[in-house]
Amino acid sequence: MRIAAALFRGSLYAYTALFFAFIYIPLVLIVVYSFNANPINMMTWSGFTTEWYAQVLGFKTTISENALYIESTDQLVAAVLNSLKIATATTIIATVFGTAIALALHRFNFVGQGFYRVVMFMPMLMPDIVLGIALLIFFVNAGISLGITTIIIGQCTFLISYVFIVVSARLAGMDRTLENASADLGANEWTTFRRVVLPQLMPGILGGALLAFIISMDDLVITYFIAGIDVTTLPMFIFSMLRRGIKPEINAIAVMMLTFSFVIASIGLYLRSRQK
Amino acid sequence: MRNSMVRLEGATKVFSTPEGESLKALDGIDIDVGRNEFITLLGPSGCGKTTLLQAVSGFVELDSGRVIIDGQEMNDRPPYRRPVNTVFQNYALFPHMSVGENVGYSLEVARVSKAERTERVASALRMVGLEGMENRRPRQLSGGQQQRVALARALIARPKLLLLDEPLSALDKNLRETMQLELKTLQHELGISFVFVTHDQQEALTMSDRIAVLSNGRIQQVDTPRAIYDHPANTFVASFIGASNLFEGQANGDVVTTAEGTTIRHASEGAKNSRVTALIRPEHFFLDATEGCPAVDVVVEQIVFVGSSFELFGRTEQGRRLSAHVPAARRATIGALQQGQKSRWYYDPSAVHLIQGEVA
Repeated sequence: MRIAAALFRGSLYAYTALFFAFIYIPLVLIVVYSFNANPINMMTWSGFTTEWYAQVLGFKTTISENALYIESTDQLVAAVLNSLKIATATTIIATVFGTAIALALHRFNFVGQGFYRVVMFMPMLMPDIVLGIALLIFFVNAGISLGITTIIIGQCTFLISYVFIVVSARLAGMDRTLENASADLGANEWTTFRRVVLPQLMPGILGGALLAFIISMDDLVITYFIAGIDVTTLPMFIFSMLRRGIKPEINAIAVMMLTFSFVIASIGLYLRSRQK
Repeated sequence: MRNSMVRLEGATKVFSTPEGESLKALDGIDIDVGRNEFITLLGPSGCGKTTLLQAVSGFVELDSGRVIIDGQEMNDRPPYRRPVNTVFQNYALFPHMSVGENVGYSLEVARVSKAERTERVASALRMVGLEGMENRRPRQLSGGQQQRVALARALIARPKLLLLDEPLSALDKNLRETMQLELKTLQHELGISFVFVTHDQQEALTMSDRIAVLSNGRIQQVDTPRAIYDHPANTFVASFIGASNLFEGQANGDVVTTAEGTTIRHASEGAKNSRVTALIRPEHFFLDATEGCPAVDVVVEQIVFVGSSFELFGRTEQGRRLSAHVPAARRATIGALQQGQKSRWYYDPSAVHLIQGEVA
């Protein structure tokens, strides 16, 4: 019996180790490859180098033959700036609307409440490709020229849902009697909202905003349909590079994106733990 | 009324349940709370006591009837413009604020200067025995301390009326009893009215000047704790407050005869030839025979020792369940009595209280 129990325990440990390995080893490999000097075969280690980073960041002016795929660093920088611009705009818009809708659905009772709740969930369940095509047809028929504006509008359609869900979850766990206590102590609705509801909701709002920001930075499928011909975002840029083979520079870009996401997620977790 | 602090006239509130039924939480309530009075709203859960409290604080809007606080009608005033403060059941302390910020909240909202605020927060905390705790967070405090913070926060703006919604229900027994006495003392010192909601009859008896017993959205009786205990107006009040032995039957002269033939003698006047319920409190039974006292024959089913007394449970020959409390000091009267044995329970007819009508 004791052997069976030990075996069971052992297999649980092994399962856990495998689980995390499966998720994280590819990410670790990308980091390792991004420093691999071998330009042809990434799987074979041929020494440590930061050349790929230097190339991506434009510090190296003489572009070696194997790194021809980044035609110019300017393109990459433009793509990153586009992505940042779009992510910032969509995050602000989605956070304001998502929070407002969550508050309205939590706070008031009205006809069709359940219906609206489902409507808010729908864009998340919709296949990206369908949403992308639908948005493209809409923008073209409405005569709106494709570009950054259409990307922002398009991304907001589903980012609002994400913020809505995160903020709703926070609202559901909030104690309504705190609002009553505030009113009882002489605070009107606005003061109560500012001093009691908002501070308590802040971790949810920040969490929703960070989620929206990361998803916006990451979105390829929908953005691809509604970007038009002039605007390229970072995921689109990487995707177009990939079509011509996996090259070491891509690893460097991926590692930088990974670091960026990691920093944002850490800030989010830190804020969350401080607010508790 | 000059001395009225709060008055409700015909207060009615109907809630609709999710199943589409309507529930009368308040059914034409009239009540008057005096200045300086400690009144308790007592009743089982769902009797409407919390709804009544919220009608005063403004969180419940009445369907009909009036709420008058200190001579002014309050019906159309939102909670934040009513001159009352509440101690909530789970304290409702703001978790993102320090103890000092919590207590000073109403002053801050009223734009009282920082210097005055600091001083008044300190004195409010001193009043509840939490001196110097301004910078703690609510979650760092024990349940009893949180309770005191809630109390200080509700009292700092010096309301004339304090509402307390089952504020002690989350505390353990000893602390609850200490807080009961402290609250009573505080109310006396401050000279303001307290409206206290509880479902604990012992708490109500201990603390109140008057008790209002509620059931099904109606006031069953409003009176002093002693009057409510000794002379309950109906069988609901009799059985809700304290333990009771009830004998419903036909009054005839000084005797009440139940349907199964048990007779109870009483000393009240004016209950001739009518349907009544006779009430004998368990502590009014005694086991030693006394000259001129009638008795009920009982088969003892259980004897429970609770420290200060023995609680005896038994049945009459006809199967009616009865209970008697014998003070521990008189344990000799129980003697060698054991479960399953017959026993005579004596009572004084003057201790029998008659309630008009039968058990509902």
